[in-house]
Amino acid sequence: MANDGNRGRQDGTSRNASSNRRRFLKATGLGATGLTAGLAGCTSPSDGDGGDGGDGGGGDGGDGGSGGGIPDVIRVGALGPAEAPFGASILNSAELAAEEMNANDGIGGADVEIVTGDTKDDPGTARQRYSEMTSGGEAVDATLGIFGSEQLLALLGNIADKETVHLTAGAATPEAPQQLKEDFERFKYWFRVGPINATFLGDSLIQYAKNRFEDMGWERVAFLAEDYKWTEPVTATINNRLEDEAGVTLTSVRRIAEGTEDFSPIYDQLESENVDGAFTSLAHIGSTSLVQWAKQQRPFGYGGIHVPTQLPSYYAATEGAAISTFSQTTATPTSEVTGQTIPYAEAYNEAYDGFPVYSGYSAYDAMYMLKEAVESAGTVNSDDIVAELEGLSYTGTSGQLEFYGQGEEFPHDVKYGPEFAEGVYFQWQADSEGNGSQQVIFPDSLATSEYQSPPWVQ
Amino acid sequence: MAVSPVTVGVNVLLLGALYAVVAIGFTLIFGVGGILNLAHGALLTVGAYTAYYLVNAGIPVWVTVPIAGIVAATTGVVLYKGMLKKVADNPVSVLILSLVAGLIVEQVFLVLEGAQPLVVPGIVDGGVAVLGTDIELNRLIVFAISWLVIGALFLFVNETKTGQAILATSMSRKGAALVGIDADRVFTLTWVVAAGLAGIAGVFLATFQTVTPLMGRTPLLLSFSIVVLGGLGSIRGSVIGAYLISFLDQITVQYVSTRLAGVSGLVVLVIVLLVRPEGLFGRELTEG
Repeated sequence: MANDGNRGRQDGTSRNASSNRRRFLKATGLGATGLTAGLAGCTSPSDGDGGDGGDGGGGDGGDGGSGGGIPDVIRVGALGPAEAPFGASILNSAELAAEEMNANDGIGGADVEIVTGDTKDDPGTARQRYSEMTSGGEAVDATLGIFGSEQLLALLGNIADKETVHLTAGAATPEAPQQLKEDFERFKYWFRVGPINATFLGDSLIQYAKNRFEDMGWERVAFLAEDYKWTEPVTATINNRLEDEAGVTLTSVRRIAEGTEDFSPIYDQLESENVDGAFTSLAHIGSTSLVQWAKQQRPFGYGGIHVPTQLPSYYAATEGAAISTFSQTTATPTSEVTGQTIPYAEAYNEAYDGFPVYSGYSAYDAMYMLKEAVESAGTVNSDDIVAELEGLSYTGTSGQLEFYGQGEEFPHDVKYGPEFAEGVYFQWQADSEGNGSQQVIFPDSLATSEYQSPPWVQ
Repeated sequence: MAVSPVTVGVNVLLLGALYAVVAIGFTLIFGVGGILNLAHGALLTVGAYTAYYLVNAGIPVWVTVPIAGIVAATTGVVLYKGMLKKVADNPVSVLILSLVAGLIVEQVFLVLEGAQPLVVPGIVDGGVAVLGTDIELNRLIVFAISWLVIGALFLFVNETKTGQAILATSMSRKGAALVGIDADRVFTLTWVVAAGLAGIAGVFLATFQTVTPLMGRTPLLLSFSIVVLGGLGSIRGSVIGAYLISFLDQITVQYVSTRLAGVSGLVVLVIVLLVRPEGLFGRELTEG
């Protein structure tokens, strides 16, 4: 794991000449953002770019996305279901990064403004929010976020049509890079910062099983996946590889329908299969499943990929039902995946009185990758940002982040592997005072504890 | 190895009792007041969130059961007096308004608490072995309380003057008025009972599952199927309907596919409406 710091995060030493001029212009009213930004789409720009010859901005055509130079304000659209922690982490992390940047010379001198869009975890709403934020005089220069592969897939066409860079943080479907594979030129504005895609998530589960199941005493395992897009490749990987590679018996593979509220029949069946563990791929319906497993004290372990249990407040929120559940995640607030991980988690905690979930780490990294790319390109022109992002290697909170190239299997997806991003597995364990803590149990290099069986399983 | 029939039987018995408590309230409001209350599920949600808030304030779960019943009953009466009573003669307005009221309740909790499922602990912890099957003690308690409530309601309706007044009003509003029954008082009382039952059922459901803003939807749909099967307005029909639906649902889920949860209820709904619209124990509507 790379632990070195980032250039450009706290320094803010270069590019100051032009940005100071901008600030001066702004302060004297020539660059007043409110009115002129509103007009920028339909009139010639009067916000000072034209006269700001220092960075060659004289040719700014006026619509933030296509001209040369960096405008006074860079707008970034953040998308996610605001009511759910997975979405709130995206929106908050984007805001947090923007505040940090604005306190430190912005992006190339430009102020950063976050435009949030609540997708309500619904593809139609996501589209509507996207189209609002990418239209009109205050159109955003890039977007990030999206929890839920269904929402992401609904937007891919719009992202291509708008030719506006999008950095996914949250959705895991490999169908997105598949679109780039089929028509790279059209879809090249899409990138994924995290999590690792669902095909890699499947591989990650296999690696975990190979390394840990024997010690955990999991010989007979059932796989529970929610019936959503993102679990399809994971399910295929489990079906094809788990028994051979981990040396266990896979008693059943269940794809559980959205909206399932009563898990008792499913757990009855798992008990009748005499399983040692339920290996999971659950996000949307994970809480209902987990709480019933714990309340019914089912005699098998529980975990794998379980998005709700990643929530740092989850143990308290479930009155301890999360005990001994484990999950893959991008990072935890105390795991030093890189030198950036803990400082970010702490800053988030300070700002929002609680720690982020996985999508937050990626959204925060996405903001800084965008900053690097825009500053290197010296413009917010989408094609130039794409070119910069393709060559970028960035030490984020979630690993050493790089994107796969056009000719590879998953173009513009975040690279997976020990030297890039691979995530960690943690387990909820109770301390002596009965409070839960997320202890990393895999990989070895980051582990702080060993797996423990549920208290009611002997 | 298939799931043991004992386990399935226990699930049927336990869930049937809970379904019956929900459906009886739904059928009472329809049978007595002629109101098809699409906000019935939302009253469950109100009960469940009441329990959640009280438990977080340090109150034991069992104490929250009656309080949730009272809060839901109050909500029900406000809904009736403040909204539905004014349009009671227009079934379309009743449907629309009660649907909207239900959606508003969902939205309020969505805004207050978000979509994340919340946890209410069981009334009691632990389990017991019955015929070689482990049963959560909480489910047994819920089963017992549900049957106590159903039994009390039977006694109330059949043995007390007020209960008889409710029954009379459900049969003929004019006849009831002729013998001096105050219909408005009866309607209000019916709402108190029905909404109170829904609130209590909401706590029960919260203790075995989770609390979410949309948690009332499945019980509402189930109530529809149960009540149509049992006969709209019939308490006995609702209890039997609840058990039939719970049986069909568990058999389908356990032996056909867990993905078909809830489907059997809808199939029954369609078949009964086409083949025997008055249900098993229903009577043709009398003059209202």
